[in-house]
Amino acid sequence: MLGYAARRLLGAIPTLFILLTLAFVMMRAAPGGPFDMDRELAPEVRANLEAKYHLDEPLIAQYGRYLWDVLHFDFGPSFQYRDVTVNQLIEAGFPVSAMLGAASLAFALIFGIPLGMAAALRQNRAIDYLAMTTAMLGISIPNFVLAPLMILVFAVYNDWLPAGGLGGWQGYVLPVVALGTAMMAYVARLVRASTIEVMRSNYVRTARAKGLSSMRVICVHALPASLTPVVSFLGPAAAGIITGSVVIETIFGIPGLGQFFVIGALNRDYTLVMGVVLFYGVLIVVFNLLVDLLYGWLDPRVAY
Amino acid sequence: MRHRTAGNRVVALGFLLIAAFGLAGCGDSKTGSSSLPVKISPKVAEDGTATLRRGNGAEPGTLDPHQARGVPAANIIRDMYEGLVSIAPDGETEPGDAESWQTSDDQLTYTFTLRANARWSDGSPVTATDYVYSLRRAVDPATASPYAQLHLPIVNAREIITGSAEPDTLGIKALDERHLQISLTAPTPYFIGTLAHPSSFPVKRSAVEQYGNAFTQPGNAVTNGAYTMASWRVNSMIALTRNSQYWGNDKTAIERVEFYPIADANSELSRYQAGELDWGGVIPPSRLETVKKAIPSQFHAVPTLGVYYYGLNLRNPPFKDAPKLRRALSMAIDRQVIVDKITRGEEVPAYGWIPSVVEGYDSAEFSWAKLTDDKREAKAQQLYAEAGYSADKPLAVEIRYNSNEGNKKIASVIAAMWRGVLGADVTLRNEEWKVYLDSVRQGSDTEAFRMAWIGDYNDPNTFFELMNSSFGLNATGYDSPAYDRLQEQSAHMPDGSERNDVMHAAEAQLLADSPVIPIYFYTSKYLIKPYVTGFAGNPLDIYYSKDLAIEP
Repeated sequence: MLGYAARRLLGAIPTLFILLTLAFVMMRAAPGGPFDMDRELAPEVRANLEAKYHLDEPLIAQYGRYLWDVLHFDFGPSFQYRDVTVNQLIEAGFPVSAMLGAASLAFALIFGIPLGMAAALRQNRAIDYLAMTTAMLGISIPNFVLAPLMILVFAVYNDWLPAGGLGGWQGYVLPVVALGTAMMAYVARLVRASTIEVMRSNYVRTARAKGLSSMRVICVHALPASLTPVVSFLGPAAAGIITGSVVIETIFGIPGLGQFFVIGALNRDYTLVMGVVLFYGVLIVVFNLLVDLLYGWLDPRVAY
Repeated sequence: MRHRTAGNRVVALGFLLIAAFGLAGCGDSKTGSSSLPVKISPKVAEDGTATLRRGNGAEPGTLDPHQARGVPAANIIRDMYEGLVSIAPDGETEPGDAESWQTSDDQLTYTFTLRANARWSDGSPVTATDYVYSLRRAVDPATASPYAQLHLPIVNAREIITGSAEPDTLGIKALDERHLQISLTAPTPYFIGTLAHPSSFPVKRSAVEQYGNAFTQPGNAVTNGAYTMASWRVNSMIALTRNSQYWGNDKTAIERVEFYPIADANSELSRYQAGELDWGGVIPPSRLETVKKAIPSQFHAVPTLGVYYYGLNLRNPPFKDAPKLRRALSMAIDRQVIVDKITRGEEVPAYGWIPSVVEGYDSAEFSWAKLTDDKREAKAQQLYAEAGYSADKPLAVEIRYNSNEGNKKIASVIAAMWRGVLGADVTLRNEEWKVYLDSVRQGSDTEAFRMAWIGDYNDPNTFFELMNSSFGLNATGYDSPAYDRLQEQSAHMPDGSERNDVMHAAEAQLLADSPVIPIYFYTSKYLIKPYVTGFAGNPLDIYYSKDLAIEP
């Protein structure tokens, strides 16, 4: 298994290289540059700035310079946030996004799995309909609608929770719910579908026939199998959620990584965008690998 | 099916309950209406020290006074640093680090006397040498300051910016610790005003040399303003704390200032309502009417030095050599409708190029400004016909703007007016911000395009010089020797009625040539809690936290 993991990680290097090259080419192909601003710069000043950031060199030289720096784990200075480096921005933003993402993921699993199980075990009864309607609402209400609504109710009309910022644990509640609700709903639906299928399978029938308590049948025999689709959904979802959500970060004023990507792209902050792209790339590779390893643990039929 | 509806009903009932419960709880420390409740909750510590929480738009790119741009950065920098002169709450220029200054008879040499008690936050005195170092740094090509042009009046500044002279040849010298001399190339009535701009502020040489780009970070920053850096978390909050070494520290009322970079206007409004901000600087246009009705005493609209305009590209047809057509298009726009129905923030319709709030100048205006709508439109049609267009041969023109809801509405209305009044064939095209800036700068295929200009100092010259053919930022390609001559002449005359006449002539020339179509003059909109005192609107849109107080 270690050998497998090592092979996968080595195989990721060319992928990341291609990713970086594509990102470089696409950023530079976009019209406009970091120094096009609402207050147009005088030509001399623009020339001075471009020289300072080596933007006056041929593209290939800039690319070489960038690759060399990246190999030394130096993502360069941010064009937009000039007092800090891209490394500092990622170091500051990632823990926040990761914390928020992990909490949302936990929220989604803690509420989504029991909800789905309950719905499956009481199929076509009130609780099933209630759970699935809730899930439907969770999926179909976009978080940019849910978040402001929650802010209105919990922060503006009442004093229960802050409207934004990450002052204490209270600050996490609304963003976590806003970010986790859709995923919780999705998890509930996945679990319901797979549980219904698993409960009809022969080995569950066997377990029942052997006279095991229904609690034991569900928890020991059915649950692991019904979680497999959740796990395969989890890999990409976790990478996505942990690297930050622009919408939620913007609405709640959270200093995560997600905003940098979008604001950076809009401002043509070349180094910031490429730094974040590379960081995302590495995370996705790692998460996909973790999921594949988890499969082997959950399902004995999978071997490496 | 029966079950499903029952389920739906239960869920709907739940939501209703939450909503009813949630909306019911209104305490007494609130103002506004039920549609816009606002919490009144000043942040005052046990020992009576107050914190001001300012919504500040975007995250500042940098707090280096010589590299910063944009209002959010300037707001913070003005609290941290102070120049030779400063801006009073009403917008007047007042002494800053310099307690007084003398001007030579030929208006070319300024001698400043620094305050004996002007000190950096580390306790060291602010000296004339600090200013010499800082102004040289501001024009040094290695600094690449976006506002380097502001210093062009100083001897050799132009040569240094373009790299043909060394920074130490700048016309500034320290006579002694407390006396500073600055030499100008020509008399410049607005020179003192430029000294209140962040790019003229001093920075501490030892901090810059020791920390490089990080010299504004907490722990590194050495400042000479009313506050100093306490903490900085990108995209979250910048906190400043009282600088007890500041010469005017006795008068500073607020102990700590927190700047929140909240880019989303709706989020800022929620946080203001929730009592998490004392001061908000962006109001979502769709909520303006509600805000004005529900909390009129907390809403402030201040006319500022800014103009929203349409530029016309004079390098290509249809606007090349077509002043009549340009005037017709300008005349066909009903500006009152745009400010009343679209922007709705008490903006001022623009019938000239210079905002009326600018100091010491009576603006010129279009000859047709006072006409009734019918006469104005008839005149526009007449000019349109004289320019060679008719119903059979309509003008085909494109309006280009950067993607933004407000710009889109204005462009649609102007297109409708050009179609309705003149019968022109108007197309709209929007582009993403950076793409747009690039197109406008290249100017190869633009026709009419949206722009704005915000004055850097309180003098008409900050607007006039934009249209000078040699200014370098003139996206319309306007090139009128007559205008250039008048502008250059007015830039170097002493203030007074004679200068006013020359500027008047320059503005009249510009309006007659119509390379630009001014639409409206900006207002800044603020939400300020009733317990924050000391706010007086000023056209420069500059508000020092040291001039404010919190009185719960």
